[in-house]
Amino acid sequence: MKARIGLEIHVQLSEAGTKLFCDCDSEYRRYPPNRNVCPVCLGLPGALPVPGRRPLALALAAAKAFNCRIPEWIVFTRKHYFYPDLPKNYQITQFEKVGGAPVCLGGYVEFLNTDTWEWVRVGIRRINLEEDPGRTYYEGDIMTSRYAHVDFNRSGVPLLEIVTEPEVRSPREARLLVEYILLTLEYIGATNPRLEGVFRVDANVSVEGGERVEIKNIGSTLDVEKALRYEIKRQAMVLERGGRVERETRHWDAERGVTKPLRYKEEEAEYLYFPDPDLPPVKVTGDLLAEAEKLASRSPRMIYEAVESLGVRREVAWSIVSSPPAAERFLEAVKLGGDPQVLARMIGVDYKGELRERGLDPNDPSRWPPAETLAQLSKLVSSGEYTYDSIRGLVLPKLAENPGADVKSVLPEKVSDVDALVEEVLRREVKAVKDYLSGKEKALNYLVGAVMRAARGRALDPREARRKLLERLKAMKEG
Amino acid sequence: MRKLPTASELLEEFRNGSLDPVDHAERVLGEIERWEAKVNAYITIEAREAVIAQAEEAEERYRRGEARPLEGVLVAVKDNISTSFMPTTAASRMLEGYVPPFNATVVDRLLEAGAIVVGKANMDEFAMGSTSEFSAFGPVRNPWDLERVPGGSSGGSAACLAYGGCDLSLGSDTGGSIRLPAAYTATVGLKPTYGLVSRYGLIPYGNSLEQIGPMARSVRDVALLLEVIGGWDPKDATSLRVKPPRLSALEPAEPGSLRLCVPREMVEGAEEPVAKVFWRLMERLDSEGFEVEEARLPSASKALPAYYTIALAEAASNLARYDGGLYPRGDVEPGDYWRHVAEARARGFGWEVKKRIVLGSYVLSEGYRDEYYVAATKVRRLVRDEVLRLARRCVIASPAAPILPPRLGERITDPLLLYAMDVYTVVANLAGVPALAMPAGFHHGLPVGVQFMAGKLEEDRLVRLGLFVEELTGLRGVAAGEG
Repeated sequence: MKARIGLEIHVQLSEAGTKLFCDCDSEYRRYPPNRNVCPVCLGLPGALPVPGRRPLALALAAAKAFNCRIPEWIVFTRKHYFYPDLPKNYQITQFEKVGGAPVCLGGYVEFLNTDTWEWVRVGIRRINLEEDPGRTYYEGDIMTSRYAHVDFNRSGVPLLEIVTEPEVRSPREARLLVEYILLTLEYIGATNPRLEGVFRVDANVSVEGGERVEIKNIGSTLDVEKALRYEIKRQAMVLERGGRVERETRHWDAERGVTKPLRYKEEEAEYLYFPDPDLPPVKVTGDLLAEAEKLASRSPRMIYEAVESLGVRREVAWSIVSSPPAAERFLEAVKLGGDPQVLARMIGVDYKGELRERGLDPNDPSRWPPAETLAQLSKLVSSGEYTYDSIRGLVLPKLAENPGADVKSVLPEKVSDVDALVEEVLRREVKAVKDYLSGKEKALNYLVGAVMRAARGRALDPREARRKLLERLKAMKEG
Repeated sequence: MRKLPTASELLEEFRNGSLDPVDHAERVLGEIERWEAKVNAYITIEAREAVIAQAEEAEERYRRGEARPLEGVLVAVKDNISTSFMPTTAASRMLEGYVPPFNATVVDRLLEAGAIVVGKANMDEFAMGSTSEFSAFGPVRNPWDLERVPGGSSGGSAACLAYGGCDLSLGSDTGGSIRLPAAYTATVGLKPTYGLVSRYGLIPYGNSLEQIGPMARSVRDVALLLEVIGGWDPKDATSLRVKPPRLSALEPAEPGSLRLCVPREMVEGAEEPVAKVFWRLMERLDSEGFEVEEARLPSASKALPAYYTIALAEAASNLARYDGGLYPRGDVEPGDYWRHVAEARARGFGWEVKKRIVLGSYVLSEGYRDEYYVAATKVRRLVRDEVLRLARRCVIASPAAPILPPRLGERITDPLLLYAMDVYTVVANLAGVPALAMPAGFHHGLPVGVQFMAGKLEEDRLVRLGLFVEELTGLRGVAAGEG
């Protein structure tokens, strides 16, 4: 079923340091309720918003990264609606009409479809920089809760609203696009996509012969795919049965995996837009633009191409790129003389795997050993001093536990008495020796395994064990 | 009629030891006691002990030679300017009992300059009015004639000056709210250039139009107070990056050093007694050597509707936050959100405020926005360009108000007449230029005010001219009551 999908992605600039118009913290999750607030983000009468430099620079960096037309002046607009966690009952946002000017007046993003390995272009209609409202909590269910608890810690956190053209072709691509956009923002240093509730997606979808349906409140990239799949199937079935797909807004119920019509009928909203008189238009100076360009200078695509050009397989290359600290260490370790192939495997496959197994975040820089450590390990493999497998099996797990560890302290002891181990195994494994000597060559593998086990965590090259075993077995045969 | 010391004179007496700040404070508190029941200039008055304690500290500082620029001077602060040590209600039931957790920047600057905040001045609710009758805490009366209004919305700030219940006061001026009361009470008020004084802590009405400004019994006092409160504030994105102005040591303008223009549009609607007093002053200035010429300001006729459209749009937006949530009302039962909001707003806001919210929402609505709000912003640019062009040539002079102070209730019934009181003053707010209102004379014991308007950041020209006019009229320090 052919579908046209457009996305509206709200991403908090969680790494901005400050809220959009005051000095409260952009990362509000670490505070007890209503402790990350001030007169400005509480909207107290007479308190005035002053745009923060960092949120502005990060928003402009996003506009740069998505190839946007950026206006000379940025304008903030008031959007009015009554809601208990919106302290002023208007949101300071951006609007392209009534004299407004958002940070991005149109651009595009090219993301990597990692199923087909093609770069796919999708238009960006606009990007708004706005303030997030507070949050309302209920005891249990919204309908039965006695109270609505309002927490303003989030109020005023800088939020980007990225609106794409309806050019996305499939639920899968929608998910990959959202992931790519989040990764781009992570490279800019704007956001940490893994924080709870740091982004939300609304999706518009229409199939041939039907009206456009909006799905609200999708909270994960996996759910973007699931919700759209469900919705397209639902719309197709309605049409198949001769029904009509009406224009409506639906809600994604992640728990049950279905979209549901909103309980209330959506009215034509009246937002009373007008430019915020407390905020004079912000001139996009050369200075500000230069800062934005610098922030946007590392894009996932650029890094991917750099990694791939070193001969790294695209799957592994993408794995490296999708964790910015991994990519940073990979490129650095290559510069320090490490072997790209060894490093790619170590960083993009095995170390990342170790972190995942432990439930640790591979995008958290503090989980990664310094590039020097990784380069050193790579050199030890290249020089033949250690096998890759012994590094993988014996060193990477230790580093995953303690990324700051000194290389020497995590390197395994090497087996110095291979001959003795071989003798011991030959003595013990009488049956296997007999099998081998009687022509069952497969028994050799078993014996090599036995020698490796006997090394008990010390480093031993299985090829050396095999060579020694063969020598001894040959001698036994001849003797 | 009597004369009271100006703040500059008081400071001089404090410095040379001929007057004790404590004795002075006692005297002002005595005036408040005598007049307040009749005038209602204050919503909140500072506790007597607190005022005296601060006056004692001032005395001590004079003795040690550590006196600051306004040491020991008693200042009234309009009740829409946030004070962390006194309730700030903007004369609305909606904010009854609200004590802000912060001071407005101007209040911090006052306190740093050694001023004593003696109380919070009464006003029209949320500064919406031209008579100070629309206060949830009762109307303010004009000390010159208790049957008449003192003008608004900074009526309390003007009235306390006029009866001696403060030495200086702060008002706010969105469309004439400092200048009308000054004109109606024979006091001096200055609406500064937009952005010269921080709005941080001013409970907003029409953000793009309003300024906090100084009010006093003399031109020099107004200059002195503006020096203290003016200058860039990083907490207000609309504040200009300028140093505090230096105005208090200026000399009166030399005759011939500046020219005066009287735009026909800004005088022709004035009622006869006002026009007479105004022209008499112009003639005297002309004969003193200030050339007075008639001029045209064609856009002025459109200024009033443009002003109200913009102000009410901004007001409707600013007042959306009062929903009974963060500013709870004890008389509204909790329950359904929408019912709760509606009830809180129904009970918390006065009639005039509700009317302005409805009108403001209307002019911003889809389908009407272009016809009203957007059109008004275009007129505003027109007015600004015309005013700036004219101000390059001359100081623009006009009556401050087209009428004498009306009787209580006289105008309140006809909104169009009420709004028309602001016809001469809104021009300065639309254009963002400074304007000074001061006494021009009296008509049968009722004050008549004159307004002077100059180009952006040309407060110095206004002060110099004002000093000269004050010499000419002899009305410096004039106050109501028996001497």
